[in-house]
Amino acid sequence: MDSSFLPAGADNGSAGGANNGGGAAQQAPPIREQDRLMPIANVIRIMRRVLPAHAKISDDAKETIQECVSEYISFITGEANERCQREQRKTITAEDVLWAMSRLGFDDYVEPLSVYLHRYREFEGEARGVGLAPAPPRGDHHHHHHSVPPSMLNKSRGPGSGAVMLPHHHHHDMHASMYGGAVPPPPHHGFLMPHPQGGHYLPYPYEPTSYGGEHALASGYYGGAAYAPGNNGGSGDGSGGSASHAPPGGSGGGFDHPHTFAYK
Amino acid sequence: MDNQPLPYSTGQPPAPGGAPVAGMPGAAGLPPVPHHHLLQQQQAQLQAFWAYQRQEAERASASDFKNHQLPLARIKKIMKADEDVRMISAEAPVLFAKACELFILELTIRSWLHAEENKRRTLQRNDVAAAIARTDVFDFLVDIVPREEAKEEPGSALGFAAPGTGVVGAGAPGGAPAAGMPYYYPPMGQPAPMMPAWHVPAWDPAWQQGAADVDQSGSFSEEGQGFGAGHGGAASFPPAPPTSE
Repeated sequence: MDSSFLPAGADNGSAGGANNGGGAAQQAPPIREQDRLMPIANVIRIMRRVLPAHAKISDDAKETIQECVSEYISFITGEANERCQREQRKTITAEDVLWAMSRLGFDDYVEPLSVYLHRYREFEGEARGVGLAPAPPRGDHHHHHHSVPPSMLNKSRGPGSGAVMLPHHHHHDMHASMYGGAVPPPPHHGFLMPHPQGGHYLPYPYEPTSYGGEHALASGYYGGAAYAPGNNGGSGDGSGGSASHAPPGGSGGGFDHPHTFAYK
Repeated sequence: MDNQPLPYSTGQPPAPGGAPVAGMPGAAGLPPVPHHHLLQQQQAQLQAFWAYQRQEAERASASDFKNHQLPLARIKKIMKADEDVRMISAEAPVLFAKACELFILELTIRSWLHAEENKRRTLQRNDVAAAIARTDVFDFLVDIVPREEAKEEPGSALGFAAPGTGVVGAGAPGGAPAAGMPYYYPPMGQPAPMMPAWHVPAWDPAWQQGAADVDQSGSFSEEGQGFGAGHGGAASFPPAPPTSE
């Protein structure tokens, strides 16, 4: 369903083409230098998010981070691919990536990424449900559906939630075109607030199937978070200004992963 | 404010009158912070970062999936650079886009903490090298930076990395011994930091100040895209705060 959204579709389409070309190229010329690193502008933008306004970044630090990101992708991919080969599978899946991260010590990453992946799949299901330019499923995608039953559950939910989402999605698009995407997110997020909970509730049983291991790790993480009290205090102070808005986010988080967020 | 302040801070703007950064060793008007307290502050900042990321993942929206911070095509090319890799599911690059974002953020925070210890405002290559040297999970990156880069500068508050060894030093001059202390967030907790009374006023204001500072820049360069300052919409559905009690 990637092609249901023009930018993503175009990106994935070109990605596919590039990949085929890249595959052929790997038997001839080596991968181009500029394709070996993530774009530096994107990397710098992300770095800025956690640096104070007065911080400067030297050029050699930028380049070093670029190199580190590519190394990180290769490192995780290598581990994920070994698992695939061991299990005689040809396709690296998102679950393989999560498994590799856990195995290589990136435990802190597994939980936010599991949540992110779950949200992505919901989004994909809803997108498919609204019937926006449905594309014939690629073999890879098809295989994925077969290998991961929970996705089928997600898919079956698509039409129903799609019907509900249709008007809102149109609304979202209109806002996007009118305000360049700056305005839509708030109403979209707010509007989704009740439905994601309902949506989350239905497929909840499949959570353990897909993320049992990761959540077990997350539980361990929470159990060990002795710094949490002080940290939460600090965070509370920081977000005091928006305390009145805590209920929706809090209830959402608690509802999604009641057994994971120990502090709720 | 339209955007809730970020729950973590990796720095703070200079105080009025050019006063040195609070909490740094040798700061005028403040007693020097024992280095293990500095470590605890750093741990707290990283912990807040991860708590925030968990909240952020919950708020991923359609626009986030359409506009990844990193190009999926490039991620796939890097994955395929390994000749053993055959097929990649569509979800893997999407997941990697987020994973790399988290990786860049964590590495940047850890690097900036080192720059701060050395009283600099420019992130340098050796700050990244120090962050890599201090963090076990980043061992796979040791070849990315020359070993010399990992040496601590003279006067560093934490005094890590004896020259040429690449390992954490036994302790800092004038500070409590650091032997045995974990430098990557430990899976099992430790007792909450016992801050001396005189330290609390110096720490909390810095935290809030830094958070406010980061929030301001964030709202324009990043949060603004994600949530926007929509008048009616924002008023009706403000984003949830990073943590809820």
